[in-house]
Amino acid sequence: MSEPRLVEVRRNVLKKNDVLARELRERMQDAGVFVVSLVSSPGAGKTAFLERTLTDLGRTHRVAALVGDLATDNDAVRLARSGAPVRQISTGTLCHLEAEMVGRALEGWDLPSLDFLFIENVGNLVCPSSYDLGEDLRAVLLSVTEGEDKPLKYPTIFNTADVAVITKLDLAEACEFDRAAADRNIQTVRPGMQTFALAAKSSEGVQTWIDWIIDRRSVAIEERSLARIGAG
Amino acid sequence: MHELSIALSIVDGVSEELQKRGEPVLHAVHLRLGCLSGVVKDALLFCYEQACDGTALAGSKLIVDEDGSEDMEITGMEITER
Repeated sequence: MSEPRLVEVRRNVLKKNDVLARELRERMQDAGVFVVSLVSSPGAGKTAFLERTLTDLGRTHRVAALVGDLATDNDAVRLARSGAPVRQISTGTLCHLEAEMVGRALEGWDLPSLDFLFIENVGNLVCPSSYDLGEDLRAVLLSVTEGEDKPLKYPTIFNTADVAVITKLDLAEACEFDRAAADRNIQTVRPGMQTFALAAKSSEGVQTWIDWIIDRRSVAIEERSLARIGAG
Repeated sequence: MHELSIALSIVDGVSEELQKRGEPVLHAVHLRLGCLSGVVKDALLFCYEQACDGTALAGSKLIVDEDGSEDMEITGMEITER
């Protein structure tokens, strides 16, 4: 047999996921749905934060959620209490959501009837970072009970996120949480990152977050229509 | 630990590239792996062999070239024509 020859290939390993994510993003933008994904370690308060967001934002906007977990539909049941449509994605043993799972979970859903879709990823600060889900905004959550150095320990996920949310602020004092240190660590890993601090239980800081995402959605819709005018 | 998913994506991608080239014999895959990709080289190498089992990639080697990016890119294949 002849000597092997090296042929050049230029191919992103996650091409398939990226292509699906791009299609999802297009679909969502066409339907006017602003998509926010949530990532954090297990127990950082994603579900409580989301339940609060769905309830409060749901008073003025049409909201829905997809929630990923390895097993059980506990989170979907909890989130459904907000009155918003919720679907559970059970990943089995998979440690993250992929664009294809999101696409499948959306089947049969009337997208134009929504303003916001939230995607709660599996609790994991490593694996979800590689997978684009077609979201407009990725929020990484950090609870005050976890320690201020989480951003330094898991820089990749903080790097791929657009916004950081510090949760369980009502426990900050008991945990001797050092907000300045947390902010410094977030800024070290991702300079300029927008950060919110809130408590889902007491609603402290929640309205600021909600006003901000409403604003982000308006900006995205405006940019989209400007791009359309430009293209047309 | 999502390296197995990544290894399976490499298998999918390389299988497609091999098909395009008339199914040559594959000896090695070259991968550019960024240190900001969130993927651990050793874990990926461990999963690669299992992911290749029973596919056109079986028996091939994964050669990883690390850099400072966020990328994961298949950059080359060592092949011989059948």
